Amino acid sequence: MTDNHATTSATDAVASPDLILGAGASLRKNVAAKIGQGTLFSVAALATLAVLFIFFFIARDALPYFQARGVREFFLSRQWYPSRDPGQFGALTIFFGSAMVTVGAALVAVPLGIAAAVCLSDVMPFRIRQIAKPFIEVLAAIPSVAYGFFALVVFAPLLQESGNRILTIAWWALATPVFMLLVAVMSDVMTTTITNRKAAGVLRGIATLGLGIGAFWVLRHVGLSLQALSIVTGANALNVSIILGIMALPTVVSVSEDSLQAVGRELREGSYALGATRAEVLWKTVLPAAGSGLFAASMLGIMRALGETMVVWMASGNAAQIPTPWYNVLMPIRTLTATIAGEMGEADHVTGSDRYHVLFAMGLCLLMFCFATNLAAEWFVARQRRRLRGE
Amino acid sequence: MRLSTRKLLDRAFSTTGFFAIALMLGALGIILVPMFKRGAGAYVFRGTIEHRKVEMQLFERGDLEALREDMALAEAARQPVYDCLLEFRHHQKERLDQAIDAVERLGERDDGLGRRIRRSVQRLREMQDLEQQINLLIRLEEVTRRQNDPALADDLDLIADVISDLEDQTTLYGEMVRHLRELFGPLPGDDRQIMPRDRFGQTRWDRTQVKLQQLLFVESWDHSDRSRMGESVSEPRKQRYLDTPLYPVFDEIETNIEAMMRPRFTFYWRFLTDVSHDANIFGGIGPAALGTLYLTLGAILFAVPLGILAAIYFTEYAKPGRIVSLLRTCVSTLAGVPSIVFGLFGLAFFIHTIRVSPSKSVLAGSLTLGLLILPTIIRASEEAILAVPQAYKEAAMSLGAGRWRTVLTVILPAAMPGILTGTVISMGRAAGETAPIIFTAAVSIGMGLRPWEVFDNPTPALSWNIYNLATEHEAVDEIRHVQYGMVTTLVGIVLLLNVFAISMRARISKKLRG
Repeated sequence: MTDNHATTSATDAVASPDLILGAGASLRKNVAAKIGQGTLFSVAALATLAVLFIFFFIARDALPYFQARGVREFFLSRQWYPSRDPGQFGALTIFFGSAMVTVGAALVAVPLGIAAAVCLSDVMPFRIRQIAKPFIEVLAAIPSVAYGFFALVVFAPLLQESGNRILTIAWWALATPVFMLLVAVMSDVMTTTITNRKAAGVLRGIATLGLGIGAFWVLRHVGLSLQALSIVTGANALNVSIILGIMALPTVVSVSEDSLQAVGRELREGSYALGATRAEVLWKTVLPAAGSGLFAASMLGIMRALGETMVVWMASGNAAQIPTPWYNVLMPIRTLTATIAGEMGEADHVTGSDRYHVLFAMGLCLLMFCFATNLAAEWFVARQRRRLRGE
Repeated sequence: MRLSTRKLLDRAFSTTGFFAIALMLGALGIILVPMFKRGAGAYVFRGTIEHRKVEMQLFERGDLEALREDMALAEAARQPVYDCLLEFRHHQKERLDQAIDAVERLGERDDGLGRRIRRSVQRLREMQDLEQQINLLIRLEEVTRRQNDPALADDLDLIADVISDLEDQTTLYGEMVRHLRELFGPLPGDDRQIMPRDRFGQTRWDRTQVKLQQLLFVESWDHSDRSRMGESVSEPRKQRYLDTPLYPVFDEIETNIEAMMRPRFTFYWRFLTDVSHDANIFGGIGPAALGTLYLTLGAILFAVPLGILAAIYFTEYAKPGRIVSLLRTCVSTLAGVPSIVFGLFGLAFFIHTIRVSPSKSVLAGSLTLGLLILPTIIRASEEAILAVPQAYKEAAMSLGAGRWRTVLTVILPAAMPGILTGTVISMGRAAGETAPIIFTAAVSIGMGLRPWEVFDNPTPALSWNIYNLATEHEAVDEIRHVQYGMVTTLVGIVLLLNVFAISMRARISKKLRG
């Protein structure tokens, strides 16, 4: 019965004209297959060449600006008055703002992200990891406008009213353990050369005490000066940097974790076999081996922060200025993305004006930077893969 | 280094990692929990009688009879307040009459001034508006005082007294009436208003409380200490009304506000579907939610077929080579293009170059968003296709199926759950993106579109309206609940899509593991 059935379906299959081994396979079929493949190729090409389209059309609208006004003013002048007649388009302050929040976001996202990735891939038990990963994905999925809303409506007033207290508490909470650890390690390192155990113990105690007092003095000094800060507006570079950092975290974590996983068991087991603690295995073996991948992760995170629009538009204060002093993160700043988003509404009515084209020039700069970062990140990932394969 | 220090460092290292993860989850909690808590308040809240009036008058919903009864009760509770207002008016009239009598006495003389004063008295009695009457009194008092006649001094002082009294009281009265209108809507005897915000009082109990506080207390800023920022000081407003008939109003309102507003537990699920009235002060977020739906579906319709075809090409047909690696680089670059640049491209290409629509439209926005999610879909589909066991393919091939047939009948069905997962995640991304639709699709205020209007009409969308309401609205603080409701709706949709996708993926991986 089954045999019979199998035979019929086999004959059916042979008779079926779609099959390459069937009687119907012919030149015509081959041509059709080639055409089909060609169509698929062109769809794939269309989908992917969109990026060339983007380059072309952004550049097409950006070039008239550079032709009309040159490059100098755009990159070097601080005078951004696009609505004056004639307009002034010095975007230096805006480039500076973008750089500032991006660096700030990187300072938040990269250390935390890599630490979290290490924890996820090497420290946590597998089960907890399975639970934690979806939460990180959720963090990545929250729309940027929701982050922006949080930054503007919740975080900015909080920062404005009790920012100094928050910063002080954060400083004490974060810096105290770090300093304690530093004191312990340094006092140890300073006394390792002494062979007499008793003397070493006494000296170590003295070193710990001295260093501890010094560390406490630094802690208290910084803490007090943070306490004395008065924050004029909560919509500032610090606010935006923290939120952008949180937004970039999931990217950094997931790419870093991939590259840590790629390092493989052999290196780790080899290190453990030599008697290293887990921290030493990770710090001295795994992290250097994953270095390129971690670098790529950081770059992708930075790219995400640089290209983000809504958070900076809503919560950065949008003041085209270089803070005084330049590292003052408590002043409002303005970024490229926010400028494009904010000014296109007015500029679009005068399509073809300098004011319209200058925004495309900014878009082109963003695009170029992201393109370069992306290529670099890809190259670093590929390099890690090559090295781990031992080529 | 000693072993103990090494162990310490080891612990510190692990702790740092845990700390980072805890911080991340903490951030998630800090951002989401209060947002959802306050956002839920847009749907579930204590709605006052005014909310029910809004529902009846703007949306024609609810039980008219019950509402009438309700309104009658509320009006009865408010009546003492209105009575106080009337009495205050009456009091002012009496005071004014004293002044007019004094003016009449001034006019008992036979020169030109006397005639002029008598004419003015006539006019004073005819006038209805208190402010005009006061102005006329002021002028009369000035003219008469210039006579420097000692006999007139007493009456003139009386008039001056009344004037300053009335002026003070008018400000007080105006202040009170303004606050009462905000609370209760139009007062008896007011003209019919056009703007919905002038036609209704506070619709929510929490807002009522805020407005009540504003009525009961005057908030001012104390700048006496120059070295610090000004501190807010609040003092009871009723002290200013000590000797006026309006004094009891404060206690009356404070004790009876519940009876006046009749708050009731309200589940306003129609917030999601209702149109908004008067720039989102009343009603819901229907048009924006619908706009987000259109934009997301449009993007998916555009991106999914293209993305799947491209993924099939990459996984099944492409032979490694220079062109394919160029194409792959393009895909990853496309994934890294900032979203605002997509917006610029959509404006320059879809609207200004190929003119899919004369100006902003849902179509242009969908195409832009589609381009944005294309790389995600290509990658997800590729992964899903590659995850199909090689044996399936070999089995199909060995039965004599051609490559295309294998793809259609064996690989795609097996990969479909994975592709769907990627699609759902990209839907979440498309729904939440704002920057690409600013120049291509979004407007702040608009009606919900019908499906055939999407080709050449712009639409409100949740993501854009959140920005708009939170930054550019004229009464940002008054409509926080709407903003939170919108954010919660958007985040809720995106999270639901993601949770769905994540759980689906977990099931697939379980299945693949056997």
